[in-house]
Amino acid sequence: MPEPLLSIKNLAVEFKTDDGIVQAVDDISYDVFPGETVGIVGESGSGKSVSTLSILGLIPQPPGRIVSGEAVFKGRDLLKLKKKELQRLRGDEVAMVFQDPMTSLNPVLRVGNQVGEAIKAHYPKESDDKVKERVIELLRLVGVPNPDVRYTQYPHEFSGGMRQRAMIAMAIANSPSLLIADEPTTALDVTIQAQVLEVLKTVQEETDAATILITHDLGIVAELCERVLVMYAGKIVEQGDVHTIFQNPRHPYTIGLMDSLPKLTEDEDWLRPIPGQPPSLINRPSGCAFHPRCFLSQGRLPCHTEVPPLRSTDVGEGHLSACHFAEELVGRRSKFAQPVGAS
Amino acid sequence: MLTFIVRRILYSIPVLIFSTFLSFVFVSLAGNPVALLNGNPRIPKNTIHLIEVQNHLNRSIPVRYVFWVRDLFTHKLGNSLLTFQPIWPDITRTLGHTAQVIIISETLAIVLGIVIGILSAIRQYSVFDYISTSFSFLGFAMPTFWLALLLQILFVDIYLKWNVRIFYTSGLNSPGQGTWSLDRLQHIALPVMTLCIISFAVYSRYMRASMLDVINIDYVRTARAKGLSDWHVIMRHVFRNALIPIVTVAALNIGGLLGGVIITETVFSLDGIGFYFLQKLQNGDLYAVMAYLVVTAVIIIVFNLIADILYGYLDPRIRYD
Repeated sequence: MPEPLLSIKNLAVEFKTDDGIVQAVDDISYDVFPGETVGIVGESGSGKSVSTLSILGLIPQPPGRIVSGEAVFKGRDLLKLKKKELQRLRGDEVAMVFQDPMTSLNPVLRVGNQVGEAIKAHYPKESDDKVKERVIELLRLVGVPNPDVRYTQYPHEFSGGMRQRAMIAMAIANSPSLLIADEPTTALDVTIQAQVLEVLKTVQEETDAATILITHDLGIVAELCERVLVMYAGKIVEQGDVHTIFQNPRHPYTIGLMDSLPKLTEDEDWLRPIPGQPPSLINRPSGCAFHPRCFLSQGRLPCHTEVPPLRSTDVGEGHLSACHFAEELVGRRSKFAQPVGAS
Repeated sequence: MLTFIVRRILYSIPVLIFSTFLSFVFVSLAGNPVALLNGNPRIPKNTIHLIEVQNHLNRSIPVRYVFWVRDLFTHKLGNSLLTFQPIWPDITRTLGHTAQVIIISETLAIVLGIVIGILSAIRQYSVFDYISTSFSFLGFAMPTFWLALLLQILFVDIYLKWNVRIFYTSGLNSPGQGTWSLDRLQHIALPVMTLCIISFAVYSRYMRASMLDVINIDYVRTARAKGLSDWHVIMRHVFRNALIPIVTVAALNIGGLLGGVIITETVFSLDGIGFYFLQKLQNGDLYAVMAYLVVTAVIIIVFNLIADILYGYLDPRIRYD
């Protein structure tokens, strides 16, 4: 096994609110290896974004607080870094693409300057002409037409897809070794989504950056990722390589997620959502947080008394599931058992 | 941009006509300008009648309005109905004094308000924030006249016991002193302070709220994710966006103050336009009151225009072509 680029161990993040303490991320561990693409999947509020934002010091503190854990990146624990050191790392070695390109660019500054700023922040001695040249080159790389003209325009003169391209250009400006894309296509319409994903793919090949792709869209995961983490209520409930997860899911939540997607090749009259609501993170359900919504639990005792550990399953090395009865899912195939889009 | 300004000025003409007509009607209905003369037994009725005819006071109000508009243009706002003196020199003199006070106090208030607003926003809920917030609320809550009197006691009355003169409580100058002298500064210091404290309260509150609005928007997080320093994030990405609402508040406030420092100027017997207006209103001097109202309206319209122009400069999404 190669050395992981980023290794997160026992990370726990909580937010203080008026109603109580929200356990946004609850004791999660995972590794990201150089050059690979890891997908983090889960419903809104499952802690997907917080698990990555917090290690870069990008959650507001307070109310947020990192309770415990470590996040070792290239041999350094990010959670122990001084503010200045973390700042030097952000946008240089670790870069982020955010969800909503409409609000993620500053409306009063020119796009070119905003991209250039990412370079200037880390290489202040670079001449303005050089920076401009590089920015135009970056804009061209992410597929912004007429980059010379676009350089001087403001964000409101960009369409949503173009803005997200500019965001990606900004993120890869300093050739990061880790790129975190937080729902990069959620705010875009479907045709633009495909284009932006294509750009992400190109960029990845070009820079060879490891990528963490946070999304709730399983289609994107199938398309881009090599490994998947499924999160529920602040915990990782299943992880494994993308083929195994789609072929042989070993957690009822993962199966629920896949089944809830309508499949165009089948004649379906009804959508099959997961029943119930995502749990409150202030009063987590006892035992397995998913048990109130789980089709497999059927009221069995361990489900609501014991928190299931993340353990390896029958499927193979590196495939982990946090279900007491994961083995009962053997043979249970999701709708995606035939590789659809997983190619 | 030029077309926008020209268009805005053209738009303001009907606004001016409408507002002056309304105020003309109300002020005319409020009292008879020659009532004071009527009460004086030494002035013969014929003279009064002559004055009435000369000034068209025997005509209907809309007709008088038209005559007044003619005077406005041909005689620079016309003559006073009571003293028969031209109004224009009075207006320019008093407006100059008011402008001096307002410009100094507003400059101080804007600079202080913005700086304190930024600092208390980035240190939200710190001791500093609580102190400045309390001070702002105090400024909001205090009535102008009371604050003015308080300052007079604090900076003048107490020290007079020991024959120490720091500031003056009234007037503009001691005899023989000019517009740009230390003596003038000693005279206007207290009115400036009064207005400054009140405006500062407004600006610092708005700036703080506006900064906090912006500080949690996604693009600020983007800026942080780029690895910019805190100072850079605040100055480049938060400050400029937070300034946009302040521009409106400040422009309207300055415009309003230039026409309306009535209470402050009265407390300090300052020969400004507000004090002038109050005196003329009490005397029922129709044309002088109208002159004040026109000047105020024009100033407010001009400052609104300035606010709009600054808006376009600060926010590229707003373009006036």
